[in-house]
Amino acid sequence: MDVKTKEQGRYLYCVAEGNEQTRFGRIGIESNEVYTILSNGLCAVVHNCKAEAYYSKDEEKVKEWIKAHQNVIDKAQERFETVIPLSFDVIIKGKNASKEVANWLQAEKERLERNLEKVKGKQEFGVQISWDNKVIEKKLSEEKKEIKNLVKEIKKAPRGKAYFIKQKIKKELKGGMEKLADQKFKRFYLEIKKHCHDIKVEKNKRIEEKQMLMNLSCLTEKNKVQSLGRELDKINKLSGFSVRFTGPWPPYSFIT
Amino acid sequence: MQPTREKNATLADVLDRALNKGLLINADLIISVADIPLIGVNLKAAIAGMETMLEYGMMQDWDEALRAIARKKRGIIDEKEKITVLGEKNGRRTVSLLRSK
Repeated sequence: MDVKTKEQGRYLYCVAEGNEQTRFGRIGIESNEVYTILSNGLCAVVHNCKAEAYYSKDEEKVKEWIKAHQNVIDKAQERFETVIPLSFDVIIKGKNASKEVANWLQAEKERLERNLEKVKGKQEFGVQISWDNKVIEKKLSEEKKEIKNLVKEIKKAPRGKAYFIKQKIKKELKGGMEKLADQKFKRFYLEIKKHCHDIKVEKNKRIEEKQMLMNLSCLTEKNKVQSLGRELDKINKLSGFSVRFTGPWPPYSFIT
Repeated sequence: MQPTREKNATLADVLDRALNKGLLINADLIISVADIPLIGVNLKAAIAGMETMLEYGMMQDWDEALRAIARKKRGIIDEKEKITVLGEKNGRRTVSLLRSK
């Protein structure tokens, strides 16, 4: 087999500014040697691989790959401070794959530099705010006049009518909860925004029993992380609310 | 409040970011990346399940393209299989579809 004509791959972890050859050691996916390919002030952090994607039906194996992917980006971020993270499993292939990577850096230079400029000196954080439906509903039914009146009514009502009142309470509660969620979202968003350079509103997810109220990715200057944390503390202390604060992440959510 | 990167507690966050976010390679480049994002999608299906894919609107994107492909090439049944066909035969389009989500 003629090795020279065979296609090879370069697995891409991230892109950074830099002019130096850097070796990170065998920290890559499946312990591959990680190093940089340079082009005109930019560098790509890569490892050599076959010209095919990493694919497995074994979920655990894939998780390990992704953990390694993340770990390399973390290490690169320590070294370069600002990086553009690639999505998992992006491989450039070619007969001279390293050259293809350099060509790609050159071709995409403007876009890459624009992204680097945007995220420079900043970190991404995940902020997920949830509320405990039961606690909030209870509070709402104690505070809302309409519901309080209906609850009083139900005690005096005959059985048939009680059922309808119950349905009415449910409807009132549902409407009240939706309105409240909307209000809280707007309020929290504005408060959190003060401490962020940029925010992405992500889709809510279900975590355990709690209802997620908002799921944000926040791009924050390093010197504002403390104040963001304090802001989240305030929300976390509100009865029925809980905040999940993760990071710092590479700026995955702010790459355009 | 201090942000956490505790490994066990944030695995889902890592997976979400590495699979659904981050830079993808522009489809118009001369470099052939045809099969790569495709496999990424299959991985997403394996890991996150169809529900998450729907949640992220991925299958909606696929759906339209798949229909177009299916119109041309009839007789493909399995959803995943369809994606594979799309990726192999029409890699470039696959990439841009992914990016337009």
